[in-house]
Amino acid sequence: MSVIDAAIRPPLITGGKTYADVTADICRPLENKPSRLWWIGFSVSFFCLMILAATLFWTVWTGIGVWNINKSVMWGWDITNFVFWVGIGHAGTLISAILLLFRQKWRMSINRSAEAMTIFAVMCAAIFPMFHMGRIWVGAYWVFPLPNAFGSLWVNFNSPLLWDVFAISTYFSVSLVFWYLGMIPDIATIRDRATTKARKFWYNFFSMGWTGSVRTWARYEVVSLILAGISTPLVLSVHTIVSMDFATSIVPGWHTTIFPPYFVAGAIFSGFGMVLTLLLVARKVLNYENYITIGHLEAMAKVVMLTGTMVGLAYITEFFIAWYSGYEYEQFAFQNRAFGPYWWAYWTMMGCNLLAPQVFWFKWARTTPWFLFMLSIVVNVGMWFERFVIIVTSLHRDYLTSSWVMYEGSFIEVGIFIGTFGLFFTCFFLFCRFLPVINMAEVKGILKNKE
Amino acid sequence: MFCFSTSINKRNLIYGVFDNEVNLMSAVEEVREKGIEVFDCYTPFPVHHLDTAMGISRTRLSIAAFLCGLTGFCLGLLLQFYMMVFDWPMNIGGKPSDYHMLPSMVPVVFECTILCTAFGLAFLFFFRNKMGHGVRPDILDLRQTDDHLLIAFDADTLNHDSKNELKVILNKNGVLTTHEYVGQYAVNQGGVHA
Repeated sequence: MSVIDAAIRPPLITGGKTYADVTADICRPLENKPSRLWWIGFSVSFFCLMILAATLFWTVWTGIGVWNINKSVMWGWDITNFVFWVGIGHAGTLISAILLLFRQKWRMSINRSAEAMTIFAVMCAAIFPMFHMGRIWVGAYWVFPLPNAFGSLWVNFNSPLLWDVFAISTYFSVSLVFWYLGMIPDIATIRDRATTKARKFWYNFFSMGWTGSVRTWARYEVVSLILAGISTPLVLSVHTIVSMDFATSIVPGWHTTIFPPYFVAGAIFSGFGMVLTLLLVARKVLNYENYITIGHLEAMAKVVMLTGTMVGLAYITEFFIAWYSGYEYEQFAFQNRAFGPYWWAYWTMMGCNLLAPQVFWFKWARTTPWFLFMLSIVVNVGMWFERFVIIVTSLHRDYLTSSWVMYEGSFIEVGIFIGTFGLFFTCFFLFCRFLPVINMAEVKGILKNKE
Repeated sequence: MFCFSTSINKRNLIYGVFDNEVNLMSAVEEVREKGIEVFDCYTPFPVHHLDTAMGISRTRLSIAAFLCGLTGFCLGLLLQFYMMVFDWPMNIGGKPSDYHMLPSMVPVVFECTILCTAFGLAFLFFFRNKMGHGVRPDILDLRQTDDHLLIAFDADTLNHDSKNELKVILNKNGVLTTHEYVGQYAVNQGGVHA
């Protein structure tokens, strides 16, 4: 037998689908004219993308002074948004790589869109460190080890910020390779169904001559497994290194050894929040309720609850350790976080990340789509505030009281953030329009009724 | 690993069309018991253990992946040693710029290892399968990427008797149709449902 599967397990794909049904259902949105809903969504996203272009242009044209960051709070919305977007990316790799290693078959209907989300989120994230350097045109040799006219004066490999450059660019390119490789069989399926000349040409071009030969499949499976194997430590390393941007600096509130696991858990938490947001809409709009079933939603809700509780534990541990360390600067930093001028941000974070996901102890909450959608938004908001709290509350009270300041994002900073949502959703809408959102080949492999 | 070309170009093939992998699998097993070699199978999704049933040995791409990773590891170390230790040592915040900085080289070495493994493996995979952008696919039947599974035999390696034997086995295992592929066109040979 080809698939060893216990008969008592409920099917992962409902609706009694056959192989032909899978192909037809998944190809339908990209073979027909886009719906009204698609055009509305795409237009709004594209408008936001234009906001991104305008605000970034203004930042570069006028200078970094259009942001409200200052000498004490030198990282504000920019790095908050960077960490927010990188974190969101992590769920994609977790679903496609870690769940593959754990042989979790439910990942198969959601891994494609989650990986797409990873790639688009990392693109959004990369904007912030690039532009926060101010002079973007010299950014290339500030961040990459490129020969330059100063010596060459190379980049500093002792700096965690440089590790981050390597981590993010590796993460982006490896995710892209993994995503594309997994999509080739499906592109070939679309190629063989294509009717117009343009579609035939482009899907043929990107299918790279795929035939579905058993020899190719055998290699493909080995390659997928190895890519999953190397993506797993990669995804853990990326947010670990992001956390080191903070943890290796001697700033009270940042200088914490629990940052790496705490950030990774937070990243998976926020990523699953975003996956839920996207898929709850996609399964409705694209009519994929039989592929992304309530069972899938429930499994994701469980991950959200687990990782939410993990970050909650980390918040409490930080607080405890600050007290236990007997180090008054650390103690002050945490008191100031919870009860200082940014108390509202701290308690929003606590409420959204630790308390809200606890409703997933109840089955009703895990299996009701509209409720899950609301909770997924809450998770996204909470995780943005987590980064804001970590960055801004640790910086705005410096050692010297003369350096104490308050910070709020300027119009331009908010515009850039909204703009990155535009970039993200524009990419996602285009992805839904031109590429199969669900991995047809893998889903065909897990159908229960073999017709 | 088979080293002959698996391209169907200029070959005479006999192929059977199946609609499920259980029948295909039993056909492959039975055919091979009779000593007939399967040229290739084409499936729209990975059918596990079909490669071993066809007698294909495991790919050596995993060894190649290790070598790619090793290359990346060495390149990562070389990059950092050259830039930070030999070419232009810098004292930033009193941190070392000699071999003492090995611990802070770990993240970049790690990322280089992963990067080289992934890209090296992907390129080798494409190379091994003769895949590339714009390559014309050798498609026998348009349904082979949709909902049907194909089993193909090299007609030149079969004599008249084994051809007949083959058809009996395929029909017994529920083949939908069998066809002959000569160069560019296929001839319907009939089958149980033809």
